[in-house]
Amino acid sequence: MSWLAGTFSGGFVQRALLEAVMVGALCGVVGVHVLLRRLPFFAMALGHATFPGVVLAALAGVNLLLGAGLFGVLVVVLVAALGARERVDDTSAVGVVLAGAFALGVLLLSAQAGFAKDLAAYLVGSIVTVQPGDLAATAAVGFAVLAVLAALHKELVLGAFDRPGLAALGYPVLLLDVALLLLVEVTLVASIPAVGTILAVALLVAPAATARLWTDRLGATLTLSPLLGVASAVVGLAVSQHWRVAAGATIVLVAAAFFAVSLVVAPRHGLAGQLRARRRATAAARPA
Amino acid sequence: MTELLVDPFRLPYMQRALLEVVLLGVLTGAVGVFVVLRRLAFVADALTHTVFPGVVIAFLLDRSILLGALAFGLLTALLLAGIGANRRVGDDAALAILLTSFFSLGVVLVSRTRTFASDLTAFLFGRVLTVDRADLVQTLVLAVLVLAVLAALRKELVLRAFDPAGAVALGYRTVVLDLVLNVLIALVVVAAVKAVGTVLVLALIVVPAAAARLLVDRVATMAALAGLLGAAGGWLGLAVSYEVSVGYGVRLASGATIVVVLVALFLVAASVAPLRRLAAGRQGPATLAARGQRERR
Repeated sequence: MSWLAGTFSGGFVQRALLEAVMVGALCGVVGVHVLLRRLPFFAMALGHATFPGVVLAALAGVNLLLGAGLFGVLVVVLVAALGARERVDDTSAVGVVLAGAFALGVLLLSAQAGFAKDLAAYLVGSIVTVQPGDLAATAAVGFAVLAVLAALHKELVLGAFDRPGLAALGYPVLLLDVALLLLVEVTLVASIPAVGTILAVALLVAPAATARLWTDRLGATLTLSPLLGVASAVVGLAVSQHWRVAAGATIVLVAAAFFAVSLVVAPRHGLAGQLRARRRATAAARPA
Repeated sequence: MTELLVDPFRLPYMQRALLEVVLLGVLTGAVGVFVVLRRLAFVADALTHTVFPGVVIAFLLDRSILLGALAFGLLTALLLAGIGANRRVGDDAALAILLTSFFSLGVVLVSRTRTFASDLTAFLFGRVLTVDRADLVQTLVLAVLVLAVLAALRKELVLRAFDPAGAVALGYRTVVLDLVLNVLIALVVVAAVKAVGTVLVLALIVVPAAAARLLVDRVATMAALAGLLGAAGGWLGLAVSYEVSVGYGVRLASGATIVVVLVALFLVAASVAPLRRLAAGRQGPATLAARGQRERR
């Protein structure tokens, strides 16, 4: 493990480590809600669709994350409006908005010079170049998102499992839906400097899906998922520094490796557990 | 009008690009109808990203990019069926994890090369203006193959889309049918990815088909219209990007222009669809149902 400690000396790497830990924990918590509501595709679309916002912000000279955030709100509204039409289902609406918004961003950007490099950083992140300002932004967003999630915990969980029940109890269901979508959006935007838009989706989905393989209890999932997120981020960063490969992508590969291993060895929901359960069921069904 | 739509295509590389997008437009239109009917847009999106490591590995080993992409496309189709079968994980989480991890694998591999950023951009947006004769032949072969399979399995796939329980009851293996459709989507992605890039492939698959679905009801007409819209969007997009880039000095990426034109066509379809329903709806099912209700009262 000595190379692990050795890897993390040096100012820019320490900043990267801090950012990785914060993003891993934040995405781990929010990801549990993304999975409960079956929002992975929406998160993916949002990741692509905030792109024109970033480009416009860069052209106008305002904060990039602010541009991405505002454009993301527009996309949330568009998807909701298109999906409400009779013959356009949600999935296709998301697909159309995703492709259209992303292409718009590329179009805006292609008119500029130095197109390829900015784009790559935006898509797959560039964690070793995070600035103190990015760290502060991630920390502030993280605390805000976690505070709102804690405050609305009961309502959001009820909404995920029993929407009619939530409506019957008199809660504003639509408002809560929009609030959750906005939390996902803000989390995604805050993760862009570290891992980029496409890979932020991985940090939202993979740790939460892994945690769900190990436990059925929501409380335990909400603890395990951020721990897995942090572990993926730290190990991924160390591996990428050691072998000099892209950091964001390595973090995602580590998160996916945790998931793949859990898929096989997890006690109840893994492959081994399911085979054992099936064998037991056949044994029980056989007449004595 | 001819100035805009015909003149740019006097140049040989513009002719090849046009032929490629028209071929792809027809192909993706036909497959896209099934993607939209079965709500597989996320599967299509995942496949466009998971072929990336295949492309990179083939490039590093100096083998055919087509073969590399094909291998990873088939691998994705198989893994998807395998992981999605675990109830605790669910289809969409499995898709998101496969998509991002395969894409990351590609990024890690490509990050070892010097031309990282421009390679990544080329993969995402393609270089339709550099399509050569061999690319065209590959696209043509794959298009004929995919369209032949679609035509042969048309009845089964439509049944599977509208009545999954009925398909099972009639003894069709829906798992096999799903796998076939996923492999067909993978083939389309592979055919298109080198020329037009992943983001454009997704747009070509989903947008014309979603637009056609707004306008017509029959599956065969829908596929034909989607193909037509895809080809028309490709033509118009290429012409506009050429005209603006050459005539006005503002460089517009050709692939992205095509997507924006397609989305504009979709928006037109979405705004005329209610009119069409109004005109056709006098004796339509909705009116009949309303009349029935009135009579019951």
